[in-house]
Order: sequence, then structure tokens, then C-alpha cells
Amino acid sequence: MEAKRKLIDENGIRLDGRKWNELRPIKMQVGTLKNADGSAYIEFGKNKIMAAVYGPKEVHPKHEVLPDRALVRARYHMAPFSVDERKNPAPSRREIEISKVIREALEPALVVEEYPRTAIQVFVEVLQSDGGSRVAGITAASLALADAGINMRDLVSGCSSGIVDGQVVLDLNDAEDKEGSGDMPVALMPTLNRVTLLQVDGIYTRENFQKAFELAMEGGRKVYEMQRQALNEKFFSAGQMEQAPGGETGES
Amino acid sequence: MPTVERKQVIPGDVIAKGDFRYGNYIEKRGDEYVALRVGLAEVGRDGVKLNPLTGPYIPHVDDQVIGKVIDIPGFGWEVDINSCFFGYLPASFVFGREFSPSTHDLSTKFKIGDLLGARIESFERSRDPQLSIRGPGLGKIPMGEIVKISPTKVPRLIGRRGYMVNMISGQTGCDLKVGQNGIVVIVGPPEGILKTVSVIKMIEDEAHVAALSSKVQEFLGVTPSGS
Amino acid sequence: MMAAVKKNYVVETIRKGQMIELLSQGKRLDGRALDEHRPLTIQTGFIQKANGSAMVTLGNTQVLAGVKVATGTPFPDTPDKGLLVVNAEVLPLSSAYAEAGPPSEDAIELARVVDRGVRESEMVDLASLCITPGKSVYTIFIDVNIMNVDGNLFDATSYAVVSALRTAKMPKYEVVDDKIKASEDLIPVPVAKTPISVTMARIGDSIIVDPTGEEEAAMDARITITTDDEGSVCAAQKGEPSTFSPEKILEAVDTSIRIGKEIRGAVWESIK
Repeated sequence: MEAKRKLIDENGIRLDGRKWNELRPIKMQVGTLKNADGSAYIEFGKNKIMAAVYGPKEVHPKHEVLPDRALVRARYHMAPFSVDERKNPAPSRREIEISKVIREALEPALVVEEYPRTAIQVFVEVLQSDGGSRVAGITAASLALADAGINMRDLVSGCSSGIVDGQVVLDLNDAEDKEGSGDMPVALMPTLNRVTLLQVDGIYTRENFQKAFELAMEGGRKVYEMQRQALNEKFFSAGQMEQAPGGETGES
Repeated sequence: MPTVERKQVIPGDVIAKGDFRYGNYIEKRGDEYVALRVGLAEVGRDGVKLNPLTGPYIPHVDDQVIGKVIDIPGFGWEVDINSCFFGYLPASFVFGREFSPSTHDLSTKFKIGDLLGARIESFERSRDPQLSIRGPGLGKIPMGEIVKISPTKVPRLIGRRGYMVNMISGQTGCDLKVGQNGIVVIVGPPEGILKTVSVIKMIEDEAHVAALSSKVQEFLGVTPSGS
Repeated sequence: MMAAVKKNYVVETIRKGQMIELLSQGKRLDGRALDEHRPLTIQTGFIQKANGSAMVTLGNTQVLAGVKVATGTPFPDTPDKGLLVVNAEVLPLSSAYAEAGPPSEDAIELARVVDRGVRESEMVDLASLCITPGKSVYTIFIDVNIMNVDGNLFDATSYAVVSALRTAKMPKYEVVDDKIKASEDLIPVPVAKTPISVTMARIGDSIIVDPTGEEEAAMDARITITTDDEGSVCAAQKGEPSTFSPEKILEAVDTSIRIGKEIRGAVWESIK
């Protein structure tokens, strides 16, 4: 049996060259799918995730309709080629649990009362997975919801932290998640400062818990700034904003 | 003249603090007015407003929409109005109260695939929106170039008191039917239609640009007027 | 486009009329000629964790294919041949008309046509994928995810599968001390051919290549013909509840050979 390898060297550098509080390279793009009402693509390190939103739309089956608000559904799914060992395309129990957790992370941000008797369907499709796919998926899904123009109180931003070689670190990749000793995905609504997702895997002293939690929250806020940039790029990039006397938005 | 302060906002952004009148797509939290959509916010003497740049069409009574017939379920026509619900045009609205399926064949009036100009007659919480075709310019649309835009851009396309759509119409020689639900039908000479489609695309892509009107005027060959 | 729950895509009668009018002049709604396909982009190596992958866009249709290589137990009647598992999924996010859950008959037809396209064309040399006869062989998984539907899933999928396979690399598996060992170095997955499918739709008397979603909704019949590097037909599938005249079928074969050659060239260009 091989000895467990060191995930952080004596200079505090992780296997992929990062320091304890560094995020992986992140790329976001809004409006990447033509048919969906809203969509976004995200790369979080080696994670490659496509999120899409359809809705508001009619509820099927009809008996599930809610008279006073929208029914929110989420589907988190991993492509068979997204992981090291090819995965069967049928939804696994893990994917079903993550689908639920993602729905519950996004729903607080949606003004569901605005869309009674409808369904809002969120899809998170993981094309390549490398640790932290659920928080990356939530981040992309939040952009897709904003892209679809569903009334939202806030965006939802996700990030994870964990414990690796006894140290609290930010944004675990797959190796760190598998070989480390703790994983904590967190999602928040940044301007409302409310937590919408928290899961803990591993053992944390009270001190480490606070450290890891605050680290993930801070990471989430950094992710939020990138989400804003991505929305700006899609919606506000052409042309300049001007102050015009009297306003001429031309509302009829 | 008092200026209107404009801001580009995303959901969660605080547009203004204080005490204002406020419109749709805005949530009041204490003394803060928060955006619920991606859009252009305005703070001025009329209060706090948000012009969204994206979002679904939600039917409102008296809206004029353009839809396509997708099914004839028996006592009426099911119409896709580009919304979260299908619209329903009751056969009795078209054939009158003496309507009966045994004597009236619905497909003789409107077939699947037909395009209709209609009005939202009613939209009750427990039913799909009901449509009516009673009114000037409503009913089957037999021809034209069909263009789809985001429903949030329709006010821009129509313009204050219709000035934008009238200007486009005047300069291109085309007739434009604009549905509140984002469906536009253009009738006119081929070059006029091409020009109109380009202008519509320009408005869709640059609805957030304040100088858009002048740009459109320039494209259409109109001497830009002072504001 | 905001969706209530879409049943089937209904083309506006006006649009269909405009389509037919243009066809009589040899043109289409998007300005293409009858035998012109939409812009094709192929990006290989999109998924580094996969042994091979390709993201393909054909107009607005977008498809992602991934190849994974593993080891497995051979079938008893082919003890020295590698295994091929082909799967195609129309993801529910790809269209307002696609639902999650058991695949529709269209999705199953797509999966089976893709499977046949790879298997029957013998593009993967399964005979060279044996490790120990009767005990262990290579297993090649080809999974296709449809990301955005706008007509002609057959061709987009065919080009994605071919591009992913042709650029796929795998370790060499050998038995060392009774265990299967994977080499450090990677070798190409043995792919001998580049079968290319060309799908055509019949609208009235016109045959059009690479139909959009709208053209498919208006079409009478459809035919997909796959040709190999020698220009021989290696697969065909007629679809939709209408007909072709025998002359049109032969015309379609000629078109497929011609266009297939051009697209094969484009595929080779992009996988260099």
C-alpha cells in the first residue's frame, strides 16, 4: 500500500501550485445556449459546467402545480465522460441529492410568488468534473436565472473550502477532495449576506470550522464579482451609458 | 431640467436610498430600493424605475399579442403567445353564442400554424389567459416577415407614444404589428423589410444605449432631431 | 423562446409558405443554397479527462461527444474483440421540447443510428483491442450529449463522434505479473475510417441538405446517408411518415457522396 502523498509542500504550495487561500482559474460566460430561456457556462479549474434555465412555464404533471408561487426544479447531472472512470448516464443517488441541494440553494433568491402556477426548471450539466462541481454549478445556474430574467432578490455565489494535510484551504480540486480530510461547499446570497447552501464532510474543530467557513464565504464573494462581470459582458458591453436630460427610454 | 440618474444593475444591486415611488422589478428593503433584474435603473422625479433587459412575457389584460395556433382542443384554439401559459381563444368568441362543435368546424376559421393578432381578454389565477380577436387589426395575420424579440425590448421598439415604430414605418414603407409578447410582423417591400429587420435587431442589441434613438434615426436616414 | 410545455414544434403557416416559395427559387430562409450546410465548427480535446472529445456546432445545433477507454470482459462469442458502447442523449437542457426521463423514440432512434454508424462502419478496429483472449479486452465508450437542438442531430452527432474518436488517445494495456498494467505513454485509439453522414430533408419536390429545426418541422420526409472514405454508402436511414421517389433517393446518395467528401475534408482539417 502506497503512503498517502503530501498535498501541501513545506512552502505551503499545493499540488497545482496554489497557496492555501487561492481560487483556481475561473471563467464565466452568460447566454451560451440558444434555446434555453437563460444559460451560462463556467470553468472552475478543470470543472466545465453548463447551466440552463427554462421557465417560467407550465407545470407537468398538472397535480403538482402550486396556486400561489412557482415550482422550482433542479437537475444536476454528470456527463459519462466527465470523470476519470466513465460514469453510467442514468442519474445516481448522489446526483439526485445534489439536485435537491442545488434547488434549495437557489430558491431563496427567486421571487417565486411572482410566477404562480408555473415551473422554473434549472439544469446543471457537468461536462468535466474536478472537485467543487456543485458550487460551480450553483454559480452558473444563478447566472442562467438572471439571464432568463426571473425576478431574483440577489445572485447566488458558491465556493468550497476544506482541510488538506491538517490545513484549512480554499476551493478544493478533485485530488484534494478525495485525499484530503474535509470538504465544505458553501453558497450565499452576497448582498443579503445569507447562506443558502452548507454541507460538511469531515471533522472540524470549532476553530477550523470558523476558519473554513469564513474562507469559503470570502471565496464566494470573489466569485460574485466575477458573476457581475459576466453579466456586464453580456448585457452592457455595446455602447456607452450616458446621462440624458429628461430621460428618453421611450416607454410608451 | 432635472437630470435622471441612470445605472446598470444586476439582481441585488441597491438602486437608491431614501423615500421614492417605485415600479416593477424593484424590491423595497427598509429605505433601500433593490433591483430584481438585470437592467437599466433610473432615479428621477418620477421615482425609481427599472427597465429590464431580459425576462418573460407575463400576460396582462388588454395587452395586444401575436400568437400562433398550436392545437384545437375542441371548444376553442390553443395559442402559443410566447409566455409561461398558452392562450385560449374560445370558439364562442368567434362564432358567437350559438356555437356548437357539431355545426361549426373550428379549423375552417383558424388552422394549426395560423398567426393571430389577439387581445388578452382575461387572465384569472386558476385558468390560462383567454384571448379575444374582437377589435381593429385583430384576427388572422395572413402574411409578413415574423421577427421575435425579447418582450422587455417592446417598449423601446414602440417608443414614447409610438414615435419609434412610426418613424421606422415612415422611413421603410412597412407596416409593423408589434405584440406586447415580443412577436413582430412586418409587411412591406423587400428592401423595406430588410431595413426594418436590421433596425429591430439594433434596438434589441442596444436597448441599453442612451444614444440609440439617434443611431436608429441615422440608420434610417432621418435628420436627427433635438431632444 | 419562453415555453409553456411545448408539445411539438409547430411551424407558422406563413413561414412554411415563405419556405416553399423560396425553395422554388432554389433558396432557403437563412439564405443557403439547397445543398449547403450551415457553418460547422469542431473543437477537439474539449474534455481533457476524456480519452477523446469533440464539441461540434452545426449552425445552432450543438453536440458534445466524449470517448472513454477502459478494460472489460469480452463477449463469449467474440473472445478476442474489444467492446464498443455507444450512447447518445438529447439532454433536457437542449430544447423546450426535450424532457428528462426515459428517452423518446426520436432519442432512441438517434442513439441507435449513431451506434450503427460507428459499429457497422467498423471504424474502430476492435480486433486490435484484445488484451488477453477470452479474459480481458479494451472497452471503448462513446457518449454523446446534445447541448442545443436546431435540427439535424444526426449529422452533428456523426461529426462529433468521428472527430472525438480520431483524436482519442489511450494507454496500452498489457498483462504484467497477472495484472493489467496501463502504459505511461498514450497511443491513438485505432480508427481506420472517417464515415460522414449527410442528412437531407424533402419539402415538396426540393431536397435540402442539413435542415434547421424549422425546416425539419415543415419537412415531408428525411434521409440520412453515411459514406466512407472511398465514397461507398455504409449506412442509411429514412425518417418521417412520408415518402421519397426512387429517383430522389439516388439523387440523395449522389449529394451525400459529394457533400460527405467536403465535410470529411473539413473534419480532417480541424483534427490536425
